[in-house]
This record gives sequence, C-alpha cells and structure tokens, in this order.
Amino acid sequence: MRVPGALDGWVADAGAAARPRALGTRRRALVWVMVRLTGLLLSVLVLGHFALTHILTDVANTGSSFVARRWGSGVWLAWDWLMLAAALAHGTAGIWVAIEDYTPSPAARRRRQWALLALAAVLFVLGSVTIARVILG
Amino acid sequence: MTLVQALFVVALIAVLLAVIGFATVVVAGAARGGAGSFVTPALLGRMVRSPAERAEVDRWAFYAHRISGFAVFAFLALHVCDVGLYGLSHRLYDQVHQLYGTAPLRLFECGLLFGILFHTLNGLRILAIDLADLRVVTARRLLAGAFALTVVLGLLGSVVILRPVLG
Repeated sequence: MRVPGALDGWVADAGAAARPRALGTRRRALVWVMVRLTGLLLSVLVLGHFALTHILTDVANTGSSFVARRWGSGVWLAWDWLMLAAALAHGTAGIWVAIEDYTPSPAARRRRQWALLALAAVLFVLGSVTIARVILG
Repeated sequence: MTLVQALFVVALIAVLLAVIGFATVVVAGAARGGAGSFVTPALLGRMVRSPAERAEVDRWAFYAHRISGFAVFAFLALHVCDVGLYGLSHRLYDQVHQLYGTAPLRLFECGLLFGILFHTLNGLRILAIDLADLRVVTARRLLAGAFALTVVLGLLGSVVILRPVLG
C-alpha cells in the first residue's frame, strides 16, 4: 500500500520504534500479495458490477425481480460472492494499515483493529448467508 | 417513508460522516507529517508545473487512494446490509431499493463512481509500478492518465446515471 514519498504516516504518528512487530515479514509479504491479487480481481468484478447496475441497467430497474433473474445464474452468484470476499479482504487489509498509521496508542490500535475484523466478519457472514439462501432455495 | 427506508437514510448519513471524518484524519495527518508541503499557495504554484516535476502529486495520490478506498469500503458495509434484506423479505429490499433511484442517491452514486474509478485506476498504476519497476517520471505520467480517465469516465457515467432525474 506504500507509494514513493508517502512515508508521512510512518514518521508522524507512531514512529518506527513504536510499530508493533505482531505481523512477521513473511506474513506482511503474503498480505501485500493478497492486496494486489484481490485488487486486480476487483478491478474487473466491481467495475463490471457497477456498469451492470448503473450504466447498462438504470438503477431504478434493479429491484428484487432484477436480483432474482440475475441470481438465477450460478455465474452471477459466484461473481457476487467472490466480489464480497475479495472486497472485504482487500478493504480490511487497507484500513488495517491506515489504523496503524493514525493510532499511536497500542491499546487503542488493537481495539480498532479488532473492531475492523469483527465488522468484516459480520459482513462476510451476512453476505454469504444471503447468497447461500438463494442457492439452497 | 417506511421504517426500513428511514434506517437506510440514517445509515447512509453515518457512512458519509465516517468518510468525512476519515478524510479529515488523513489530511490532518498530512499537514502534521511534514514530509512535504501542505496546501499552500506555494504548493498550488508548483502543481501547475509539468507533471514530471510535481513530486507532491505522489503524496496526494496516496491520500486520495486511502480516502477513496475507505469511502468504497464504508459504502460496501451498508450495501451488504441492504442486499441482505433481499434474503429477509423482497418487499423490504424493494422499499430500500426505491431510494437508490431518487435524485440525491443518484448524486451519491456518481460520487461513488468517481471514487471507484480513481481507486481502481490508481491501484492498477501501483500494480504496474511494482511489477515493472517503472521510472518515477513514467509513474507520474500514469498518474496523470489515471486522473484524466477518472474524470472522463466519471463524467460520462454521471450523465447516464443522472439522465432519468434531469428530465
């Protein structure tokens, strides 16, 4: 998530010494790869989703009958579930780093990161249950 | 307005406030960080130079990426909930969905489109920088391209989204 010249968060707030070492280098590298892969995936899934529901179809015509028709196809169910999982993983990893940058207190940082994980877990379960109920009828 | 519609409006306002709050934290952090200049007349003067010379735009692209990413995630949280209503009751889903077609929500959707476009295009640029080890000048040209494409595609999309309510 780092771009050249964007070191301010690291310098300004917590500082390198205060940075937690909870995540090992190898795990950070895996998260880095995950963010890139999900990002690439989402560039297709999200833009495709937005184009379908706002450009190709007027948003006023995307009511429950539109959803029912679309979710009659396994491809769209897979599309939406993959989009949900990728977006939550990608967004959680991104906001995780933002919390580190803007929360100097270790206790507050841990609280916020747990809250983020809890929110992502709830959304994942809610979205997955919604899709699973359609599949199971 | 039904109860579920009122809840959606309250939640949407909460999303917008969260985005404004986060953006304030990011911009305030930028001002405090001191890694470069903040928004001053001198900075704005440098911004009108050729893209390759504007080192500051890298930082501002980073902040814009962060804020747009947070905004899309915040909306995603709300969107997963309103689509979740579909599993609960089609009638409740349709009540909330009606709001999506109103003028204020369409305006919001235009903003969402700009956020998604910038985050996507700048994200692909970051991927290209990582994979191809691009020179700084090339990376800045790509940023200018990502910004231009965001504006063009965002405006075109906004016309399509807003046309039904513009009469």
